Amino acid sequence: MTFRQRHLALPVAVAIIAGCLAPLAVLVAFSFYEVEEFDLVPAFSFRAWGELAVSATDWFLIGKAVLSGLTTTVFTVVLGYPVALALTRLSASAKGLAVIVLLTPLYTGEIVRIYAWRIVLGGEGLVNTVLQGLGLIDEPMKVLLFSPFTIGLVLTYNNLPFMVLAIWVSAEMVDRRLIEAARDLGARPVDAFFRVILPLTVPGLAAGSLTVFALSAGEMLTPSLLGGTSGSTAMALVDNLFGTAFDWPLASALALALLATLFLVASAMAGLMLRLKGARAVIGRA
Amino acid sequence: MVVESRMEKRTEPALSPLLLAMRGIVKTFGRSRAVDGIDLDVPERAFLTLLGPSGCGKTTVLRMIAGFERPDAGEIRLDNTPLADVPPERRPVNTVFQSYALFPHLTVHDNVAFSLKLRGGVSDIGVRVRRALDAVHMADFGDRYPHQLSGGQQQRVAVARSIIAEPRLLLLDEPLSALDRKMRGHLQIELKALQRRLGIAFVYVTHDQEEAFALSDIVVVMNKGRIAQKADPETIYSRPADSFVADFIGNSTLVEGRIQARHGDRATIETALGTITAPAAEGLAVGDAAMLVIRPELLSMRGEGSATFTGSVGHSVFQGERSMVGAEVGGLALRFPAEAPLSVGTSVALWLDADRSFITRIAA
Repeated sequence: MTFRQRHLALPVAVAIIAGCLAPLAVLVAFSFYEVEEFDLVPAFSFRAWGELAVSATDWFLIGKAVLSGLTTTVFTVVLGYPVALALTRLSASAKGLAVIVLLTPLYTGEIVRIYAWRIVLGGEGLVNTVLQGLGLIDEPMKVLLFSPFTIGLVLTYNNLPFMVLAIWVSAEMVDRRLIEAARDLGARPVDAFFRVILPLTVPGLAAGSLTVFALSAGEMLTPSLLGGTSGSTAMALVDNLFGTAFDWPLASALALALLATLFLVASAMAGLMLRLKGARAVIGRA
Repeated sequence: MVVESRMEKRTEPALSPLLLAMRGIVKTFGRSRAVDGIDLDVPERAFLTLLGPSGCGKTTVLRMIAGFERPDAGEIRLDNTPLADVPPERRPVNTVFQSYALFPHLTVHDNVAFSLKLRGGVSDIGVRVRRALDAVHMADFGDRYPHQLSGGQQQRVAVARSIIAEPRLLLLDEPLSALDRKMRGHLQIELKALQRRLGIAFVYVTHDQEEAFALSDIVVVMNKGRIAQKADPETIYSRPADSFVADFIGNSTLVEGRIQARHGDRATIETALGTITAPAAEGLAVGDAAMLVIRPELLSMRGEGSATFTGSVGHSVFQGERSMVGAEVGGLALRFPAEAPLSVGTSVALWLDADRSFITRIAA
């Protein structure tokens, strides 16, 4: 066997098989096990899958994960795209500073950020105090904390840097002369955006969207610590089934169903975006 | 006959056929003056070339006409309309960029159709794209993407894309500089033919004097943000306005001297190589420092009477059809063409065709 460039991928392939496919196989196996008197018994049982199939709660939570992933993706695209474009206009040193500012929240750790949000959004928190002080509201706004609004806000905040970075890298690669060429050929700035900049940043949009979707659909801590009664997630349920409830077969089945659903949605997103013209310019070149 | 000529006169356009007029244009980037007060007229249907070394401001002039840069001072008028507040997309001017700037995500067809699609309401886009691609011999490439084309093909597509909307003026920013010599020669001929056929005025930027001479009706030589000379190619070549122009075009040897006598359009200049009488630039007076421009083809190894210069061969470069020889004469290297290579050190006698040489001003 001669050494070729593609053999460089071998270590990664081994890591993927050992670290990802093997555990999945274990999950598949567990999903057919039986639990008898707090003991896992290898049996070829469809009990877990049967329970999952008819559980409205489980499917509601899976759907909620998809919806949470999609809405977070949309919010981060809408908020992040202008930021990413603005970054391309900065001087080299300002870009360095901007990236530090962008990434700093990620270094603080999730739990710290979550408690920071509690302080900001709480009944006697920063936002309510300021609004009351200005006389804009009489009572503290309850919707700020422990609500679906909170989950959406914090998931968007947490994931924005990933979206901005992905789009920014893509936008930096757009040759500025192409924008001048578009203007020269009769495009107003808005036409140049939709016909040149947006199509050519599709690869960045795709990378950012898939990342943000994966991160936010599977998020558990933020909803459970900031979402209050609306904070239940499929992930938390899996955690619960593996832990306190000790129903590993059902936990495995639910985890696999969630994984398969998210994978399908992400594949659909990728497929859609790669069909767009801009993706060809970068990916279709081979 | 009299009647006929009067009728002919009447068909002349009442207005001057001036297309573009730039007056007192200044553009500064930071501390450097890229364009330092230039006046430039482009007549209808002209092929005008801005020629100069890199950094002379020629591309900045082009970008101001296109609308990508705003002059700090001065006025640009197109068809007698001030362009100051007209954004690039509303100027009847299109550009062929140095890098071609084809849209990588669009096919050749969609690249060429870009401006017509933006306009909306154009029903014959397909026909016009076809015609534009035909004009540049690229009709069979409509379905390709830019990255599937060679440099020369991309250049043709860029030209097709910029002429399809029938601009009043086409700007070309060193469009051939990225191509090899042979392709450059082909495309020069095609561009010139296309310009004649379309009747659109071209403003062409290049640093290659051969290209400028081959293509242009008017050559504008620029130096440090100013216009050094504006004339037809023959005049630029044979009567360079100053030593910068003389040095920039061709392989001339410049010999510094002082004007000794002036008679009409001729003058006598005293140089280290001797005293020579030749046509001289206007305004040069007795006592002025000036420069004698000796173009290679004005030196010959044969002649009547006594030789103008004698020296020895310093170097000899074989160039195929001839050799370019540098002769050491009085500490200067005089370049001249020889039919065969000469060995270094050979003594040579040279005759100068002084009537076709030129005495010019020393550039500031």
